[in-house]
Amino acid sequence: MISVSGLRKSFGAATVLDGVDLEIRQGEVVSVLGSSGSGKSTLIRCINGLEKIDAGKITVDGFDVSKPRELSEARKRSGTVFQLFNLYPHMTAVQNIALAPVEVLKVPRKQAETEARELLQSVGLTDRADAYPSQLSGGQRQRVGICRALAMKPSYLLLDEVTSALDPEMTSEVLSILAKLAKGGTTMVFVTHEIEFARSISSRIAFLDKGTLIADLPTEEFFSDKGMALPRVAQFLSKMRKD
Amino acid sequence: MKFDLSILAKHIPFLLEGAWLTLQACTLAVIGSLVLGLAVGAMRTSASPLLNRVAAIYVDIFRNIPFIVQLFFFYFGLPEIGIYIDAFTTGVVALSIAGGAFTSDVIRSGILAIDPGVIEAAQVSGLRKSTIFRKIILPIALRASIRPLGSVFINLILTSSILSTITLNELTGSAKIVASNTFRPFEVYFVLLVAYAALTYAVSILIGMLHRHLNRHQQEGAV
Amino acid sequence: MRYGDFTPFDIVLLLQGLGVSLALFVSTALIGLVIGTAWAVIRFYRVPVLMQIVTFVAELLKNSPVLVQLFLVFFGLPAFFKINVTPTEAAVITLSGNSAAFIYVIAVSAIESVGRDQIEAARVFGLTRWQTLRWVIAPQAAAFAIGPLTGLLVNQLQVTSLISVIGVMDLTKVGNILNLRTLKPFLVWTAVGALYYLTAKLVAYAGGRFEKRLRAHTAWRGL
Repeated sequence: MISVSGLRKSFGAATVLDGVDLEIRQGEVVSVLGSSGSGKSTLIRCINGLEKIDAGKITVDGFDVSKPRELSEARKRSGTVFQLFNLYPHMTAVQNIALAPVEVLKVPRKQAETEARELLQSVGLTDRADAYPSQLSGGQRQRVGICRALAMKPSYLLLDEVTSALDPEMTSEVLSILAKLAKGGTTMVFVTHEIEFARSISSRIAFLDKGTLIADLPTEEFFSDKGMALPRVAQFLSKMRKD
Repeated sequence: MKFDLSILAKHIPFLLEGAWLTLQACTLAVIGSLVLGLAVGAMRTSASPLLNRVAAIYVDIFRNIPFIVQLFFFYFGLPEIGIYIDAFTTGVVALSIAGGAFTSDVIRSGILAIDPGVIEAAQVSGLRKSTIFRKIILPIALRASIRPLGSVFINLILTSSILSTITLNELTGSAKIVASNTFRPFEVYFVLLVAYAALTYAVSILIGMLHRHLNRHQQEGAV
Repeated sequence: MRYGDFTPFDIVLLLQGLGVSLALFVSTALIGLVIGTAWAVIRFYRVPVLMQIVTFVAELLKNSPVLVQLFLVFFGLPAFFKINVTPTEAAVITLSGNSAAFIYVIAVSAIESVGRDQIEAARVFGLTRWQTLRWVIAPQAAAFAIGPLTGLLVNQLQVTSLISVIGVMDLTKVGNILNLRTLKPFLVWTAVGALYYLTAKLVAYAGGRFEKRLRAHTAWRGL
């Protein structure tokens, strides 16, 4: 379980997260929605320990991410996929994927690379396995990014606006893979702008507004009268649908 | 007076011996500067303010004092504190220390130019700091730094001529001997000048090739 | 007090040496600036033959050790042309030529930074070649060049130390003399190094100040 309680985070004078409580249990797909600047990405970056939190507590399977000793254990249990892919530019797709299993989990290199190829096959990139990131399209890069996160066999997948940098065609490439993963029972925290997609795969929707979680509802309820009763949610949904 | 190079012919083996010594000194100094430059470059990008400060002071000092003064400091100074090393070793050490200062500057900007997102990706995948440095930061920074590093190393070759002032008969040192033996300093030093220029030109071509080879995957490709 | 001990007069000696170094540094930098800029103008107007010669000479000077250039001028020229060259003359010739080669490179990129379209525009408005150079190119190129030029000057200051090898009484030569007399190398070379360091810092500081003023000036002109 990922447990976030009383999380506060500010950058200088700007408070980005102002007392967030959230729990994600094994098997859930939780989408985090909210307008830009609402703190969605920061939430993910706090969970994987990229940002130091100012107050509150975050644990991943009981490991406290603000304790350096426990952070590495927490990180082993979650995999992150980034908006801008962040692939290692000097390594091929296979090398990108196999690095952490070899170095962190001490999987033999041969085995790690075989598993990397299998992962690439599952996302339709069999023939691009030995390509470097610069030789791949954006959608292909993000698929490698997903494989890299999955290679560590994480209990939780953290997805930070993974389609924001992609054009519509590439977006659907990536989303179809995520849908498959969701169906397969992967636990996901999905920060996104893709409302319709979020609706189709999520078990729960969390809605952030100016650093506060103003809704945390099962998907059905969020998109029904109960969600619409919240003015900020209604406003957000109608605005996003117009675009 | 006629410009006559033929008189140099019989001194060529002697000059080549000097060139060989220059090559040895420069190779060792390049390795030394690289090791020192990597360590200091890492210190200058580390989170520790103390390491940062120490590294910055080292670079500042050795970049702002003439190499010949540094060389004399080591050559005459080390015996005073009981360290007796020969001229060759002194030269290599001095070249490495001076070269290390310049190298660390190149490495530092190479590291600072790395997309922070790439390093974050490595962090969240649970890699240890030392692994991130070895497997991610260093290879990326070095690939991006080949050309500026090449300029530093070419400068090192040119600077190595100063080792002739501490009795080392490398290329310039042996040319000095040939010049005084033949009474043809103009021819000798002219050839020497061209030889150094040719040497550094060859090195710069090699560096260009290495740069293209190591970065071959950055140019081609989609998007 | 033993004969070899330091005397208060040694400080005067060091300062005299510094004065010689500075005088040669300033004069050769100025001569280099004039020659280097002239070469860049030749290149800009693509003067046939001259342009190729300039490029070749500059490459040769940039890619060979200053020490060898110095030997060629000091030992080579008198032997070959049967002329008299004093150490100071050799120093002035060599350092000026060397500075010119590096300033040439900076000046070329500075002129290129201005952009041909601006130059063509100026010509369309009826400015002569000279007026274009004087009023359009020069001010912008100077603002662009001042940063790299400061870096070069700090470097050239250190290069002056090599003239001690042919017997010019500069700061390094004074260091040599004191070193031999007192047999206190650590102290002597630390003092000499410190003087060079401070001077280098002063040059860098002055360059920074000048850059600020120049940029402010061009910015104001732009309004």
